[in-house]
Amino acid sequence: MVSPAIALAFIPLLLTLLIRYRYYFVLFYRAILVRIWKDCVTGLSREERAYQYVLTTATPGDPDSILDAFDVWCNKVEFISNIGPKKGKILDRMLMEQGPLTVLELGAHCGYSTVRIARALPLGARLYSVEMDQRNAAIAEKIVRLAGFDDDTVELIVNPSDEVIPRLRSDYGLDRLDFVFMDHWKKSYCPDLQMLEGSGLLGKGSMIVADNVLFPGAPKFLRHIRKSGLYEWKIHRATLEYSKGIRDGMAELVYQGIK
Amino acid sequence: MFILTLPLNKHSVHVFTTGVEEEVSTLQEESERGGHRGKRRDSDRERKRRRKGRGKVASKDSGEGEEELQRRLEKRERARRKRAKKEQEVQGRERNEEEQAEMTSGKRANTRKNIKNDKTRKMEEGEGEGEAGERNTKRKKKHGSAKNDGKEEDGGEHTVKEKVQEVKKKKHEKTSEEANEAAAEEDTQEEEVRPESLSPEELEKLKEAVDERKKLIQSLRGKPWPMKKKLVTLRESQEFVEKYEGALGKGKGRKLYAYKVMMTKKWMKFQRDFENFKTACIPWEMKIKEIESHFGSSVASYFIFLRWMYGINLILFGLTFGLVMVPEALMGRPYGSIPRKTVPRAEETSAMDFAVLWDCGGYAQYSVLFYGFYNNQRAVGWLKFRMPLSYFLVGVGTVAYSYMVVIRTMARNANESGVGDDNSFNFSWKMFTSWDYLIGNPETADNKFASITTSFKEAILEEQESRKDDNIHLTRFLRVLANFLVLCCLAGSGYLIYFVVRRSQKFALDGLENHTWWERNEVNMVMSLLGMFCPMLFDVISALENYHPRVALQWQLGRIFALFLGNLYTFIIALMDEINLKREEEKIIKFNITMWETSLYNGTVSENSTAPPVTIQPADVPRGPCWETMVGQEFVRLIISDTMTTYIMLLIGDFLRAVLVRFLNYCWCWDLEAGFPSYSEFDVSGNVLGLIFNQGMIWMGAFYAPCLPALNVLRLHVSMYLQCWAVMCCNVPQERVFKASGSNNFYMAMLLVILFLSTLPAIYTIVTIPPSFDCGPFSGKKRMFDVIQETLESDFPAWFSKVFSYASNPGLVLPFILLMVLAIYYLQSTSKSYKEANVELKKKLHAQNEENKKKNKRAALKAQMDLEEARTAQGAAQQQESETFQF
Repeated sequence: MVSPAIALAFIPLLLTLLIRYRYYFVLFYRAILVRIWKDCVTGLSREERAYQYVLTTATPGDPDSILDAFDVWCNKVEFISNIGPKKGKILDRMLMEQGPLTVLELGAHCGYSTVRIARALPLGARLYSVEMDQRNAAIAEKIVRLAGFDDDTVELIVNPSDEVIPRLRSDYGLDRLDFVFMDHWKKSYCPDLQMLEGSGLLGKGSMIVADNVLFPGAPKFLRHIRKSGLYEWKIHRATLEYSKGIRDGMAELVYQGIK
Repeated sequence: MFILTLPLNKHSVHVFTTGVEEEVSTLQEESERGGHRGKRRDSDRERKRRRKGRGKVASKDSGEGEEELQRRLEKRERARRKRAKKEQEVQGRERNEEEQAEMTSGKRANTRKNIKNDKTRKMEEGEGEGEAGERNTKRKKKHGSAKNDGKEEDGGEHTVKEKVQEVKKKKHEKTSEEANEAAAEEDTQEEEVRPESLSPEELEKLKEAVDERKKLIQSLRGKPWPMKKKLVTLRESQEFVEKYEGALGKGKGRKLYAYKVMMTKKWMKFQRDFENFKTACIPWEMKIKEIESHFGSSVASYFIFLRWMYGINLILFGLTFGLVMVPEALMGRPYGSIPRKTVPRAEETSAMDFAVLWDCGGYAQYSVLFYGFYNNQRAVGWLKFRMPLSYFLVGVGTVAYSYMVVIRTMARNANESGVGDDNSFNFSWKMFTSWDYLIGNPETADNKFASITTSFKEAILEEQESRKDDNIHLTRFLRVLANFLVLCCLAGSGYLIYFVVRRSQKFALDGLENHTWWERNEVNMVMSLLGMFCPMLFDVISALENYHPRVALQWQLGRIFALFLGNLYTFIIALMDEINLKREEEKIIKFNITMWETSLYNGTVSENSTAPPVTIQPADVPRGPCWETMVGQEFVRLIISDTMTTYIMLLIGDFLRAVLVRFLNYCWCWDLEAGFPSYSEFDVSGNVLGLIFNQGMIWMGAFYAPCLPALNVLRLHVSMYLQCWAVMCCNVPQERVFKASGSNNFYMAMLLVILFLSTLPAIYTIVTIPPSFDCGPFSGKKRMFDVIQETLESDFPAWFSKVFSYASNPGLVLPFILLMVLAIYYLQSTSKSYKEANVELKKKLHAQNEENKKKNKRAALKAQMDLEEARTAQGAAQQQESETFQF
C-alpha cells in the first residue's frame, strides 16, 4: 500500500502536465468530446452542422463571408481541421505569387480550403479538388457552389487520392500541375507525393504545399522531401488552426526536377 | 637583383614532388614564352589549371610522347654536364670568386631584360609572389629532374654550380627566356646548396631568405589572402625554413647549429606529443567533447562540472579512506572484540538480510562504514596511529579542502570571465557572437540557427515592447502571481516533508518492523519526488512571467535552490529532533547499564571472589542508541534513494520515453517525434542543482559516515557514464541552445553557499552535542574537539601546549581576527582600485584602437589610389610593349 504522502508528492507532476499540455487537452475536448456529444444529440455529422451554420449566416456568392462564417464556427462552436485563417493567409500569398493555372487539391473536406484556393486563382485557372468521403464531398460541393464558383473553375472528384492521381493524365487531360495543396490523410502525404513524382505531372517550378506537417505531422513525408533532393523546400511555422499553443507547420515545396 | 630573387626564393620548394610530365610542359611553355611575355597572367592561369590536373596526369606520366621528349631532354642535359665537367677540370678550384662576378653580371643582364616584368611584379606584390613562385617552380621542376640525372652520372659529387656556370657560358648566345632560365638556376642553386660550398655572401642571402620566411609565417595570419593561398604559402615557407635553417652557421659551429636546430625541433615535437598525451589522459575528455559538439557548450558545462566534482570527491575519498577507514580496519581491534564492534544478539539473526543491509543496518552498521564502529583507543597498531585525532582532523580537513578548492576555482573563473554588459549593443552582440562554434552536429546547428532567428525576433519584439510599454500592469500582475504560486508550492512541499518526517518518527517509536517498505522509506521518497517534480512546475509557472530566457533561467535556478534548501533543512531539523530523542534514550540506557553492571559484578562477587570475572560476550552487552551512527545512516539512505530515483527517472523519463516515441511513431496517428511527447531535453539547471545538493549532503554527513565520499565517488562515476549515454542516446538538443560562458562561476557560487550551509549543521552538532558514551572515536569525552586538547597535552612537549593555550587566549585571538578583517578590507579595496584602473586602461585601448582604425582607413585609401595609378601606368606600359612587339 503506497502511503498517501507519496501520492501527494505526485501532485506537482500532475499540475505540470496539466498546465504544459493544456492546449492538447482543450483540443481533445473540442475536437473529440464535443463532437461525439453533438453527434449523439443532433444526429447530424459535424460537417453538416457546419454547413447549416454557414448557410444561415453567410452571404451566398461571397467567398469571404463564407470563410468568415467557417472561422467563427470553428473558433466558437466546434473544431474542424480546416486550414484556418492564419495559415490560409500564407496560402493566399503563395497562390498570388505563383498564379497557377492548374491546381490540384487533395482533401477538400468540407470545402473551406477549396473556396480559399479558388478565390485566389487567376482568371481561367482550374482547380481539381479530390475528396474521398461521399458525405463530405456533397457538402463541399454545396459550399463551393454557394460561394459562386462554377464547374469550370472547381471540379470535385469523389475518389481516394491514390486512385485519382494515376488517372489525372488520362481521365482529366492534364499534363502539368502548377500547384498542389495537400490536406488529406497525413499518412498518404508521402505515397501521394511519390505518385505525383512518378506521374510526371510535376514540372520545374511546380509548387506543392502540405498542411499540418508538424501536428498531427507527416514525418515520412518530411523525410522524403529531405532526402529526395527534388525540391526546394521550407516549412512555414505557425500554430494549429483555431488553437494558440500547438505548433504546426506548412511545408512549401518547389519542384526542381532531377538535376 | 634582390627584388627579383627574393620573391623567387620564397617559392623554391615544391620541386621534387612533380613528375616528368611537368617538365615536358615546362619545355613547351618555354618555347611559347617568347611570344607570350606580356601575357604572363594568362600563362599563370594555365599553370593553375595544369596544377589542378596534375594529380590526374602524374598517374600516367609514362605517356609515349612525353617519354620521348624526356629522353631527348636528358640527352641534352648529359651533354651539357660533360662539357661542364671538362671545364671545371681545366679551371681548377679557385673559381668561386670569378664565378661570383660572373653570376652578378649575368644577373644584371637578366635583370635588365626583365625590367618591365619586374615593375609589374612589384606592383602586384600580392599575387606577384604567387606568380613568381609558379614561374620559379616551373623552372625548378625542370632542373630538379635534370639534377637527378646529374647525380646518376657523376655520383652526386657535381653540384648545381657547375651547371650554373655552364649555363652562363652559353648565355650570350641564348635568347631572353634562356636568360630567365639562368636566373632560375641560381635560385635552384640555393635549393640544392651544400653549405660547405657557399660563400659568405650567399650564406648571408640565404639567412635573409630564411628570416624572411620566418617573418612571413608569423605575419601570415594577418594577411588579406584567401585561405587556400595562405595554406600553400605556409606549407612552402615551413618546408623552406626547415630545409635551410640547418645550413646556416659557420665552420665547425655549423654542425652544432644544425644539431641544435634538430634538437629543438625534436623537443618541440615531443612537447606537442606530450601535450596530446596529457589531453588523452584527461578522463572522459572525448566523451565530453562529443557531447559538446552535439548539444552545445551548456550541456557540456554540466559534464565538466561533474568531472570536476568527481575529482574533488576522489580526494575526499582518498583522505577518509587512507587516514580513517584503512587504519581502523587494519590496525584497530577486529570485529567482535568489543561491544561497539559487534552486532547485538537481538539483531544477529537478521544482520545479513539484504533488506537490513540495504537500510544500512546489521553488519553494515557495525563496520568501518559508520562512526559507531570506531574505537576511542588513543593510538592503534605498531605505528601508534592516533585514530581519534586522525578522524577529527580528516573531518575538518575535508571541509577545509573543499572550501579552498571552491574559492580558488571561483577566483580563477572570475579572472577569466569577460567584461562587457549585455544591455548595450544588444543587436551587435546577437549578430556577431551568437554562434556557438563548438557545434558539430547538423541538427544542433539547425536548432542553433532557429534559436538565433527567434532570439532576433524576440529582441525586435522586446525593443518594440519597451517603446510601447502599455500593458506593464498586466505583466507585473502576472509576475507577482507567478511568485505567489511558487511560494505556495514551496510551502506545500515544505509542509509535506515536515508531515512525513513527523510520521516517520511515529513509525520509529512504534518499531519499524510493523510498517511496510513504502512507509519506512517515505521521507526519502517524498523528498526525491518533490525535488524532481517541483522544478517542472516552476518551469511551467515561469512561462507566465515572460522574462528573457537568461533571466528566467536565473529565477528558475533560484527557485529550485530555495526548494532544495527548504527540503534539506526540514530534513535536518527533523534529524535534530531525532538526535534529541536518542539522547534522552541514551540517558536512560546509560543508567540501566550501570545498574546492570553493578548487578553483574555484585553477582559474581557474591558467588566466588577468587574466580576470574565472568566473561560476557560483547554481543550481549547492552548499548546506547549512538545518535552519530543514526545520522550517518540517514544520510547514506538519503544519498542512495536519491541516486536510485535519479537513475530510475533517467531510465523511465528519458530512455523509455525515447524508445516509445521512436518505435510507436510507426503506428501512431500523429507525429510523436515532432509533436506531443517528443524526446526529452537535457535539463542543465536541474542536473547541476541536483549535483550541488548531493555534494552538500556528502559534506554534511561525511563526518558521521566515512563511507559517504566513497559512495559519492561511485555514484558520480556511474552517473558520468550513464548520463553521457543517456544524453547521446535519448535526448535532443535544446531548442534554446545558449552559451554556457559565465554560468560556471554561478554554479561555483551556489556550491559555495551550499558548502557553507551544509557545514553549518555539521559544525553545530560537533560543537554543541556531546558524543555518545559507548560508540565512536570520541566516546568518553565531553566534546568531540577535546581530542585536540588531549593530543596537545600528551603528545607534544609542555611548552607547546603552553604556547597554544596562550595563543588561544581571547586577548590574542580577537586582535588577530581584527587584523585579518583589516587585511581583507585592504585587499578588497586594492582589487577594486585595480579593477577601476583596468577599466580605464581598457577605455584607453579602445580609444587607441579607434585612432588606429582611422589611420588604417586613411592608409588603405591612399594605397588604393596608388594601386589605381599603378594599374593605369601598367596598362600603358603593356600597351607600349605590345606596340614594340608589333613593330
